[in-house]
Amino acid sequence: MSIVIPPPPDFSSHEEEVPEFNPGASSRTWYQYLLILAALVFAAVSVGFVGTIIWNSAPEWAHHTGTLLGGNGWQSPAGPFGGLAMIVGTLETSVIALVIAVVIGLGASISIVFLIPRRFRNIVATFVELLAAVPSVVYGLWGFLVLAPWMLKTVIPWLDSWPFAKELFGSVGQQDGQSLLLASVVLGVMILPTFVAISREVIAVVPNDLIEASLSLGATRWQVIREVVLPTAKIGLFGATFLALARATGETVAVALIAGGVANVQFHLLYPGTSIAAWIATEFGEAQGNEVAALMALGVLLMLVNFGLSLISRWLVSRQRKVLAVV
Amino acid sequence: MDQEFMAQVETKVATPSETLERGAAAMQLKNVAVSFHGRTAVRDCTFDVTKNRVTSLIGPSGSGKTTLLRALNRLHDLTPGAKVSGQILLEGTDIYRGDITVTELRTRVGMVFQRPNPFPTMSIYENAVSGLRFNGVKKKSILDEAAETSLKSAALWDSVQGRLKVAASNLSGGEQQRLCIARALAMDPEVLLMDEPTSALDPIATLKIEDLMTELKKRVTVVIVTHNMQQAARISDDCAFLLMGEDRAGELIEFDTTEKIFNNPIDPRTLDYTLGRFG
Amino acid sequence: MSDMIDLVESPEPDTNLRDEIRQISDRVRRRRQLRSKFMITLCALALSVTAVPLFLLLYQLFDRGLPVILHTGFFTQLPQTPNLITPNATGGVSNAIIGTLVLSLYASIMAIPIGVLVGVYLAESVSKLAASLRVISQTMAGAPSILMGLFAFSFVVRDLNIGFSALAGSFALAVLMLPVIVISTEIAVRGVPHTLREAGLALGAKPHKVSMKIVLPAALTGIVTGIILAISRAIGETAPVLLVIGGGYINSWKPLDPVSALPLSIYENAKSEWPSLRTEVWGIALVLVVFVFVLSLSARIWASRKQQAR
Repeated sequence: MSIVIPPPPDFSSHEEEVPEFNPGASSRTWYQYLLILAALVFAAVSVGFVGTIIWNSAPEWAHHTGTLLGGNGWQSPAGPFGGLAMIVGTLETSVIALVIAVVIGLGASISIVFLIPRRFRNIVATFVELLAAVPSVVYGLWGFLVLAPWMLKTVIPWLDSWPFAKELFGSVGQQDGQSLLLASVVLGVMILPTFVAISREVIAVVPNDLIEASLSLGATRWQVIREVVLPTAKIGLFGATFLALARATGETVAVALIAGGVANVQFHLLYPGTSIAAWIATEFGEAQGNEVAALMALGVLLMLVNFGLSLISRWLVSRQRKVLAVV
Repeated sequence: MDQEFMAQVETKVATPSETLERGAAAMQLKNVAVSFHGRTAVRDCTFDVTKNRVTSLIGPSGSGKTTLLRALNRLHDLTPGAKVSGQILLEGTDIYRGDITVTELRTRVGMVFQRPNPFPTMSIYENAVSGLRFNGVKKKSILDEAAETSLKSAALWDSVQGRLKVAASNLSGGEQQRLCIARALAMDPEVLLMDEPTSALDPIATLKIEDLMTELKKRVTVVIVTHNMQQAARISDDCAFLLMGEDRAGELIEFDTTEKIFNNPIDPRTLDYTLGRFG
Repeated sequence: MSDMIDLVESPEPDTNLRDEIRQISDRVRRRRQLRSKFMITLCALALSVTAVPLFLLLYQLFDRGLPVILHTGFFTQLPQTPNLITPNATGGVSNAIIGTLVLSLYASIMAIPIGVLVGVYLAESVSKLAASLRVISQTMAGAPSILMGLFAFSFVVRDLNIGFSALAGSFALAVLMLPVIVISTEIAVRGVPHTLREAGLALGAKPHKVSMKIVLPAALTGIVTGIILAISRAIGETAPVLLVIGGGYINSWKPLDPVSALPLSIYENAKSEWPSLRTEVWGIALVLVVFVFVLSLSARIWASRKQQAR
């Protein structure tokens, strides 16, 4: 789990800034060359990063695009390698996780900004940061060794005891309690700090003016939040949502440990499944030849989705800044 | 101080009738003090806000004018560590301890802020009726009527009539401030608090708002904080002069009719301030 | 006052309208207030729910992990694979601890110089390259870490033919750390007041001297904080190293040797058939979490204390 939040694209200060040096200018010193060199190395690494993965997946895309995107089932080592189960699993787990994270995270952000006294706010922020700092494998461990057995022993029998549960949903309780649902819940806990970190900031910058104006019109505290703060912060909150979704899609080991690792399109959430990232992690060690290319191709899919979501999120957060600049 | 100002004061004195009659009090302040985390920001404020008059709060920066004003509709409630002591009565009811909820109080005592602050996500119409919506009014006929009445009262109806659905951010600064006044008027409050409502506006927009205030006092009692003494002299009927004391807490020095404060104050410090010798 | 231009034609106050509005608002006031209290309580509840997993997790970690790390040889011995005769033998995790240190050391050596230089470049340059690198660094910072593993595998393990090694793992972690360091450095350098630069330039110092002697020292706190956070993130990553470090069972500092790492041991022990290894895993997790928390907390405390000193 990462603690990195994309910083505000601070274009305003950028424009005001007097360039201390211009790389295009004639009088370059060794220091400027060094900076440009570093920038070029970084650019090369980034291009290499994207290029290498795409290049290595090319053979599989060339011959089996349909299977990768629409096939069910993964036959090691010769193929075919169907990616549908992973795509569906990624969608299921990240959407459920997102719903959990947004619902709880929105409430938490509101509480942090409006309920927690200023001097405790730092402590709470540290707390949320620590939540983000816990390595994902530790969440995975927790889910795998504590939550999954608990699901198997307690939750699933209880669900089964509901009238008609078996008839409607079939018998549940597979694979030591690992399931898509459990993975989604843990994933939700993991992306919660990401969402809170941004939504908290977005909510906090809603001008106090507007809050006082609505209070002065007789609004209750909740009305202030619901009808003034949230609408004003809306675009930025969408940005936070997209970033959290990006994180959820890329989360690997926790899902690998908790989801059960079964490559089969599964809509029954209490059954095991897998996700793109988790499948790459669990299969890569044994993979040979074409299977490596197929896993790389899954990586390309993951990359496209993740980069797309990140860019949308970035764009939304920068638009939010413009909206507030008008106020 | 320039001659124009003195001329303003002169015209004020020319209408002696104002000193005589004082109507019923809309709000009464008795020994009001506000403190933050135990540190007093303003104290010793005792005066009546008379109905259908404009009462101005003047004084240099740090004298606690805005702090006092915000106590009148309990805006300090959400500030951690803020404490209001003394009594503030609205039509005889103590607004802090009496039988009145804070949301009801705020519909009866409206507020206009320093910077125009229409809700950026709402249209002109939605801004105008936002107070009603907060208070549970949903019926379209009432909303429409209230929007029209309040926009007319704020002298804004003619210019926005055809573009009510447009975002409020499209209006000019002065228009935005008048929209904020309309928004506060829509609930038909008894008292309207104004915290330096023209300090962010250009002179022409300022003039329009000042005119508006003299018109408004027919239907609503106005309490205004202003930095601008000419403004206080031009528009207010009563005037409270506050000053920062030894311990950096503001206190009420003098309260009287405006012409008395500006022409013949009891306290010498009042005269010094109105003549521009400090502050 | 009457000589002022009268712009306003005030409509007569409509008392019917006023009464109707007051009636409605009186009627719904209580409901609104209850609703507000209810929703605010829900929000507070959400915040406490956020705290629950952290507490549960920490409790489990200490409860199950503390006995393990107090066990003799946990920090100093190499791991042993349990077998039917000695099912409880687990040995220690010295190879994983050394592996984690080795990986973060080499990754830092690769990522810090380039990351800081690029960050300074982004903060001080207005070129198109800078603008696109800014977008790239922000996108890369959120990239799934497993992709770094795929990259390191293809490029270092296979194309450069270096094989499963500490070098390949630290390369993957370096790619992960780079954008984080770039972003935090840029923010830190931008945060240096302009007056400071201008003062330096006004004294006749060359721009690059100003940048090195004035701006960088002033931004140092922010840069170091960013570096520590990047390292603490890299230390906990499993996915990238899983694919490329080979899981060595020896203590080695050599870049070309296969190594292990704490997160990798956790991942593998958790899935083990042996109950003894599944018990030991809590100790490893405790060590890792303490490692990461100490790093990120110290970064935070250091940054805030420096900020106050300013």
